[in-house]
Amino acid sequence: MTRYAMTVDLRRCVGCQTCTAACKQKNGTAPGVQWRKVLDIETGEFPDVRRTFMPVACMHCDEPPCEEVCPTTATQKRDDGLVSIDYDMCIGCSNCVMACPYEARSIAHDVKFAYGDKPMANEAKMFDPARIEVASKCTFCIERIDQAHEQGLTPGVHPEVTPACVNSCASGAMLFGDIEDPNSNVSKLLKETQSFRQHEELGTGPGVYYIWDKNDEEL
Amino acid sequence: MKNSNSSIYSKVQRNWDWRAAGNFIGGGVGSGLIFWSILLSPLGYDSLWLMLAGLALVGTGLFCVWLEIGRPWRALNVFKHVSTSWMSREAIVAPPLFAAGAACWLFEPLLAWPTALLALLFLYSQSRILLADKGIPAWRHPRCPQLVITTGLTEGCGLLILALPLIDTHQPWSWALMLILLGLRVLAWQHYRAGLEQASAPPACQKKFTAINPQFLWLGHIAPAVLLGFAFVQAEAAMLAGILAIGSGAWMKYTLICKASFIQGYSMQHIPVRGQRAPQRSVSAH
Amino acid sequence: MNSSNTKTVPSYCYNCVAGPDPMKVEVVDGVATQVMPNFDACDSHPGKGRPCVKAYGLVQKTYNPHRVLQPMKRTNPNKGMDEDPGFVPISWDEALTLLTDKLNSIRAKGLIDEQGTPRTAATFGHGGTPMYYMGTFPAFLASWGPIDFSFGSGQGVKCVHSEHLYGEFWHRAFTVAADTPYTRYVLSLGTNVDATGGPCAIARHADARVRGYKRVQVEPHQSVTGATAAEWVPIRPKTDAAFMFALIHSMLHDHPRNELDIDFLRDQTASPYLVGPDGLYLRDPDSAKPLIWDSEQQQAVPFDRVNVIPALEGTFKVGHAISVDADDERHQLNDIEATTGFNKLLDHVAQYSPDWAARICDIPADTIRRIASEYLDNACIGETIEIDGATLPFRPVAVTLGKSVNNGWGAYECCWARTVMATLVGALEVPGGTLGTTVRLNRPHEDRLRSVKPGIDGFMEQKLNPTDKENWVAKPTGRNAHTTLVPIVGSSAWSQALGPTQLAWMFQKDRPEGFNLPEPTKPDIWFIFRSNPAISFWDTRSLNKSIADFPYTVSFAYTLDETNWMADLLLPEATDLESTQLIPIGGTKFVEQFWKHKGAILRQKVVEPQGEAKDFTWISTELAKRMDLLDKYNTAINRGAGGVAPLRGEGYDFSLDINKAHQPDEIWDAVCKATSTELSNNEETKDLDWYKENGLYLKPIPQKSWYLYPTMKELGIRFEMPYQERLLRIGKELGNRLHEKDIAWWDEQLSEYSALPEWHDIPGRWETALKNEGADPDDYPFWLLATKSMQYHTGANVSIQLMREVSQNVRGHTGVIMNSNSAAKLGIANGDRVEIRSNIGVTIGRAELIQGVRPDTLVIVGQFDHWATPYAKDLEMPSLNTIAPMSLELTDATGSGADIVRVAISKVKGETS
Ligand SMILES: Nc1nc2c(c(=O)[nH]1)N[C@H]1C(S)=C(S)[C@@H](COP(=O)(O)OP(=O)(O)OC[C@H]3O[C@@H](n4cnc5c(=O)[nH]c(N)nc54)[C@H](O)[C@@H]3O)O[C@H]1N2
Ligand SMILES: Nc1nc2c(c(=O)[nH]1)N[C@H]1C(S)=C(S)[C@@H](COP(=O)(O)OP(=O)(O)OC[C@H]3O[C@@H](n4cnc5c(=O)[nH]c(N)nc54)[C@H](O)[C@@H]3O)O[C@H]1N2
Ligand code: SF4
Ligand code: SF4
Ligand code: SF4
Ligand code: SF4
Ligand code: SF4
Ligand SMILES: [Mo]
Repeated sequence: MTRYAMTVDLRRCVGCQTCTAACKQKNGTAPGVQWRKVLDIETGEFPDVRRTFMPVACMHCDEPPCEEVCPTTATQKRDDGLVSIDYDMCIGCSNCVMACPYEARSIAHDVKFAYGDKPMANEAKMFDPARIEVASKCTFCIERIDQAHEQGLTPGVHPEVTPACVNSCASGAMLFGDIEDPNSNVSKLLKETQSFRQHEELGTGPGVYYIWDKNDEEL
Repeated sequence: MKNSNSSIYSKVQRNWDWRAAGNFIGGGVGSGLIFWSILLSPLGYDSLWLMLAGLALVGTGLFCVWLEIGRPWRALNVFKHVSTSWMSREAIVAPPLFAAGAACWLFEPLLAWPTALLALLFLYSQSRILLADKGIPAWRHPRCPQLVITTGLTEGCGLLILALPLIDTHQPWSWALMLILLGLRVLAWQHYRAGLEQASAPPACQKKFTAINPQFLWLGHIAPAVLLGFAFVQAEAAMLAGILAIGSGAWMKYTLICKASFIQGYSMQHIPVRGQRAPQRSVSAH
Repeated sequence: MNSSNTKTVPSYCYNCVAGPDPMKVEVVDGVATQVMPNFDACDSHPGKGRPCVKAYGLVQKTYNPHRVLQPMKRTNPNKGMDEDPGFVPISWDEALTLLTDKLNSIRAKGLIDEQGTPRTAATFGHGGTPMYYMGTFPAFLASWGPIDFSFGSGQGVKCVHSEHLYGEFWHRAFTVAADTPYTRYVLSLGTNVDATGGPCAIARHADARVRGYKRVQVEPHQSVTGATAAEWVPIRPKTDAAFMFALIHSMLHDHPRNELDIDFLRDQTASPYLVGPDGLYLRDPDSAKPLIWDSEQQQAVPFDRVNVIPALEGTFKVGHAISVDADDERHQLNDIEATTGFNKLLDHVAQYSPDWAARICDIPADTIRRIASEYLDNACIGETIEIDGATLPFRPVAVTLGKSVNNGWGAYECCWARTVMATLVGALEVPGGTLGTTVRLNRPHEDRLRSVKPGIDGFMEQKLNPTDKENWVAKPTGRNAHTTLVPIVGSSAWSQALGPTQLAWMFQKDRPEGFNLPEPTKPDIWFIFRSNPAISFWDTRSLNKSIADFPYTVSFAYTLDETNWMADLLLPEATDLESTQLIPIGGTKFVEQFWKHKGAILRQKVVEPQGEAKDFTWISTELAKRMDLLDKYNTAINRGAGGVAPLRGEGYDFSLDINKAHQPDEIWDAVCKATSTELSNNEETKDLDWYKENGLYLKPIPQKSWYLYPTMKELGIRFEMPYQERLLRIGKELGNRLHEKDIAWWDEQLSEYSALPEWHDIPGRWETALKNEGADPDDYPFWLLATKSMQYHTGANVSIQLMREVSQNVRGHTGVIMNSNSAAKLGIANGDRVEIRSNIGVTIGRAELIQGVRPDTLVIVGQFDHWATPYAKDLEMPSLNTIAPMSLELTDATGSGADIVRVAISKVKGETS
C-alpha cells in the first residue's frame, strides 16, 4: 500500500512564505485563499521569547472527519491517502470546514482578482469557475501525484510529480513521499528525528509530521 | 506554553451564520413541537395544526440552510452520503417527516406517531451533525447532543404551551412537563459547560457561555418556572413562561452556533531545536 | 495546467542583492503563469536551484494593470506632491526625440558644468541590482561620458556601508558572511540573513542548524533570524560596539593566551608591529619599514626580515627608529620604549570589562563572558581541514554584522571589533570563519583573490583617495564629494555611489556653516531606474522637494512612483520576464552566494513585453544611434560593458561591427558565445539559443577560492589588524587638508580616525542631535529601528498583491512592532492605529504587540508610506524614512548613517481600540 505523507522540519523553516506563494501560484487560488500558510508563533515573555514558524495545510488525515461529515461524497479519501474534493459534486454546505480541526478548508464566495474585478492575463489562464462557492483546500498537488503513475516517476523524488510547496521550499524544510515505504525520504527522515503531529488525540491520523529535533537514540 | 501573540489562538468560525443557526433553532423548536403534540392528542386529531406549525418551522430551518449553501441548485447531492454523514441523514429524514405530516393531515391522523418519531430522529440528527464537527470544540463535545436535544424539546414544549390556548385551552399537564424539561435543560446546560471545562475547550468559547449563563438561568429557567407556578393562579403566565423558554433556548443555540463556535486552533507541541539548545537564562537578570 | 502549449523557461531573479538565483517560469499559451525552482542548477546553486518568495511575485509584476506601458511626458510644468504631473502618452519616437534633443543640448553646453560636476546624473538603486536589468545601458553611459552618481537612494549609505568600506580594506570583503557550511558558532549582531540572504543563505543556515551549529542573535528585536537562532540577546540599540569591546576584553583578560591563535596573530597580522610613544609604528630609519621585535636576537628589525620570531607581547627598548606621521612628517625617535600593536590592544580594551558593558548594552555581564567563552571554545585553535587538497586552518567561529550595526556612528567600531575577534582566533578568511564574499571597490570584481596585491608596510595594496597636499581632490568631481571627504571609499566605478550620498541631497537645500566647497548645482538631466529615493532615503518629504527642483528627470518606469511623480519623461522598459540579458554567476557575489562554480546565466524574454515596453538593450542602442554614439557604444559592448566577457579575447572574436545598430538578440548572442568560449578556454561555444534552452553555463572552481588566507600567505601579506596606524595617519592628513581650506564641518567625522577605536556614547549622539535641534530627548522615549522583509525587496515590489497577501502571515507587516508591556502602559492595544512621531514628522500605522522586542524599541518593517505608487499607496503602512532626519551630525566618517531615530508613540486621537 501507498500512503503519501509530508514531513515539515521546523528546525529549518524560516517563515519566508515561499511555499505559500508557490502553492497559490501553482493552484491559481484567489486572493485571500491560502491552501497553505506558515504561522508566525511567539511563545514566552521578554526576554525569554521564542518565535517559531509552522507551516499548515490539509493534513490528508487517515480518518478524515471532513469526509465523514460531507453529505455529498464530494470529499473522499483515496487509497493512497490523498483527501480530495470533487468541485462538481460539492454543494458548499461548509460542514467539512467545521469538521476539519486543522483550518485546512475554506470556501471562496466571490470571484476575486489581485487588482480588482478584472483578471490579469495569468489569472484569466488559471481561473476556474468550478471553485467558487465550494469547499477547497490543499490537494497534495493531486494532478502531479496522478501523473506519477502515468510517467513512472516517484512523488517526493522527481520534482515534476512532487507538490509545488515542497519543491519551492527555500530551506528544504519539507519532504514528501510514501510513508509505507521504509526507504522513502520521509520514512528515513522520520526514523532519524523526533516529530509530532497536530491534534493526534482527535483520532484523525494526520499525514503531516512536524520534526523538531534529532532522534536522541541517534546521538 | 504561554502565547503572547494571536496567530495560533482559535477564532470563531465564520462559515455558518444566522442561517445555519436558524436551522438548528427552527428544527429544534419545530421537531419538539411535533413530538409534544402527540402527547396532547395521542390520536392525532387535535394536534394537526400544531404538527403543521412544527413542520413549517422545520421547513423554514431547512430553507435557511438552503440559503446558506454555496451551490443551492445542487442541493439534491445532499442525500448521497447517508452511510456516515449526519447531514445526509438529517436530509434523508426530512422528506418522510414531511410526507408523514402531510399524510397525517390529509389521510390518517394516527400517522402523527410516525411523524413524531421522525421529528425526534430529525432532532437527533441535528445534534449529531454538531457532534461530528471535530473542528469546533464546543460542538464535538459528547455532552453537546444532550443539550441540543433537551433544548429542542423544551422549546417545542414552550411553543406548545404558547399555542394551546389559541387552538384549545390551557393544559396544566404541559406546565408540569415544562417544569421537568426546564430542569433537564438546566442540568444538561451545566453538565455540558462542566464538560467543556474538563476538556479544556478554548477559554474564549467558555467565556461566551459564561457570559450568557446568568440570563439563561434567570430568564430561561427560574423565571419560567416561577411563572409556571403562578400559572395555576393566572393561566396566561404560562404563555409568558413559554416565550421565555423558547427565546432563551434560541438565544443559547444561536450562541452555540455563531458565537461560541471557536475553532480548534493549531498546536505546536514542541518548539524546534535550532542548532544547539538555548542556554537557560534567568529572567531575573533583567 | 498541462496543455501542449505549456513550456517552462529558465531564467534568473536578481531582484535583491542576495541574487542572482536561478528559476524557471511556466508559460501557458504565451502567458507566464508560475515561477518554479530550476532544479537543473540544484547541485551548483548554493540555494539548490530555488528562488525565494519574491521571485514568485514576478508573474503579477508582469501583468500588473498599473504598469506604465507607453512612454509618457509631463504636461504640468509645476512639480510637487500636490501637483498632478499630467502625464500623457507619447510614441517611442517622440520620447526618444525629446530625450536626444535634451542630451544634445547638454552636450552643446559641455558635459561638465561650471562647478566642475557632470551635468548628467543617474541613480540606480537597490544595492546595484538594476545593473542586471539594464541590458547594455552601461555601454551607452560609457559612450556618453562623465556621469554623477552622487544622488543615492539609501543604497550604499543606508546599506551595510562601513562593512563595505572597512571590509574591503581589511580583507577584501564588500559583504561579510560566516563560512556557514563549516562553522560551529556564529555571533550575529543584527545580521538578518534568514530574511535578507536569499535562498543561498537560508539553505546554508538551515543545513547548519540541523548539523548543530549555534547562532547567537544579538539584536534589539527578535527578527526572523533571531527566531531561527539558538539564542536571542536583546541588546540596547547602537551599543554593539561596547558589547564587542567587552567580548574582546574577556577573551584577552579572562582567558589564557593559548586560547587565542598566537601563530596567526604573530605571522599573519600586524600584531607584532612596534608602536612608539606617538602612537605610530616604529620604522626602520633607512627603509621606513615598520619594525618588529626579534624575540631571539632581542632587537627591533624590519617586519619582513626572514627567520625571525617576532614578539607578540611586551615592552621593548628601541635605540633608534623613526615614525612617519601625516603628510610624511618623519620623527626621529631615540631610546624609546616601544610596545607591540597587540599590547596596545590589550591595554586599550582593559577598560572595557563585561561589567562595564553590561550597563551600556543592557546585557548581563555573565552573558557577555559566556559568549566570549563559547566563542573561544568553538574556535578549534590548532585544527586544520583539507579543502581541495590543501590543508587550511579550521576555525569554525564567525562574527557578522547587520545593517544599522555596520553603518552610521559606531559602525567603524563594530567592523573593527568584528575583524579583531576573527583575528584573535585566526578565524579570518579560513574555513569555518568570517569571510568576505565579494569585492566592488577593488578590481577585478569577478575575482576577490586577484584583487589582492602586496602594498606598503606588508599589507595589501589599497586604492584610497589621496589625502596628501599634492593630490587631495579639493574640488569635488561629484556632488557627494566622495573623493574629497572619504579616502577609504576610493575612486573606482562603484565608489561614488558609496560616497556620502546624503550630502548631495542635503547640500542642495542647506549647507553647513562655513561651507566653501563649490556651490552644488542641479543636474541638467537626471536618469532614474529601479530606485525610489523619495521613499527609500531619510527625511523623504523634504528630499522630495529637492527632486521636484531638478530641471529634467527621465525615469525608466515600471509604475508611477513617488520619485517619478516629479519626472518629465517616463520610459517603460521591458522588465524581468520580458527582456534578455546575460550576467556573470558564481565566483564572487554578495551575501552568501558561495558557489563552487563560475559562469553565466541568462535572463530571457519569457513572454512578449506588455504594451509598448521595450527591451533596455533596444532602448540603449536606439539612443546611441540617435546620439551618433554607435561606435563608442558598440566598442564598449565589445570591451564587455554589456555583459560578462569581452567579445574579443584570446583565440576568439565575436565582436560587433561598431558602426551598426544591432538588435538585442544579436548583441546577446555574441555575448553568450564570447562568454562560453572564454569560460571554457576556447573549448566550446554556446550561443543564445543554447542558453535559452539551458539557462546557465558553468564551470567548476575550487572551493579554496572562498578563502583569502592562502592568497595572503602566498603573497606574504599580513592582515592590517588590530592597530590602525594607517587610518590614524590618513585621518590626520584629511584633517590637515580640510583645515587648510577652513572646513570645520567635517571635524566630528575626523574623530573616527583612530588607531584603536574608543567607546564614546554612540546612542547619545542621537539624543544630542535632538537637543541641537531644540527638541527634548525625553519627549521621544523610544528607539525606532528598521528591519527588512523577506517578502519585499526594499520598496521595489510593494505593488505586488501576492507579496502583500503572503507577508500578512509574518509579523510586522501591518504596522509597527512594539513590546506589549510598553504598549499597555500607554493604553495601546494590538491593532490600534498609532502615530509615531519624531522631531521632524509623523507616520501612521497599526500597533503590533509582541514580547520579542525590547521595551524601549519600536521596529518598522521595510520601506512603505507610499503616496503615489498605485496599490501601495492604499496600504496604510508606516515608514521610518518619513520621520528619520537626514543630518550631517548623524553622518559618520565613511559618509553613512543608520536607520534609527528617537520617537514617541501614541494612539491616533479619536480612535478606540
Ligand atoms: N526604512 C528603510 N529604508 C531603507 C532601507 C530599509 O531597510 N528600511 N534599506 C535601504 C537600502 S539597504 C537600500 S539598498 C535602499 C534601496 O532603495 P531604492 O534604491 O529606492 O530601491 P528600491 O526600493 O528597490 O526601488 C524601488 C523602485 O524601483 C521600481 N521598480 C521595480 N521594478 C522595476 C522594473 O522592473 N523597472 C523599473 N523601471 N522600475 C522598477 C519600483 O517601482 C520602485 O519605484 O533603500 C534604503 N532605505
Ligand atoms: N528580502 C530582502 N532581502 C534583502 C533586501 C531586501 O530588501 N529584502 N535588501 C538587500 C540589501 S540592499 C541589503 S543592504 C541587505 C541588508 O541585510 P541586513 O543587514 O540583514 O538587513 P536588516 O534586515 O535591515 O537587518 C538589520 C537588523 O539589525 C537590527 N538592528 C537595528 N539597529 C541595531 C542595533 O543597534 N544593534 C543591533 N545588534 N541590531 C540592530 C534591525 O532590527 C534589523 O533586524 O539585505 C539585502 N537582502
Ligand atoms: S486536515 Fe482537515 S480537510 Fe484535511 S483531511 Fe484532515 S480533516 Fe480533512
Ligand atoms: S462543502 Fe462540499 S465538500 Fe464540504 S461537506 Fe459540504 S458538500 Fe462536502
Ligand atoms: S501540496 Fe500542493 S496544494 Fe498542498 S499546499 Fe503544497 S502546493 Fe499547495
Ligand atoms: S518555504 Fe520552507 S522555509 Fe519558507 S516558509 Fe515555507 S516551509 Fe518555511
Ligand atoms: S533572494 Fe533576491 S535575487 Fe534571489 S530569488 Fe529572492 S529576490 Fe530574487
Ligand atoms: Mo542595501
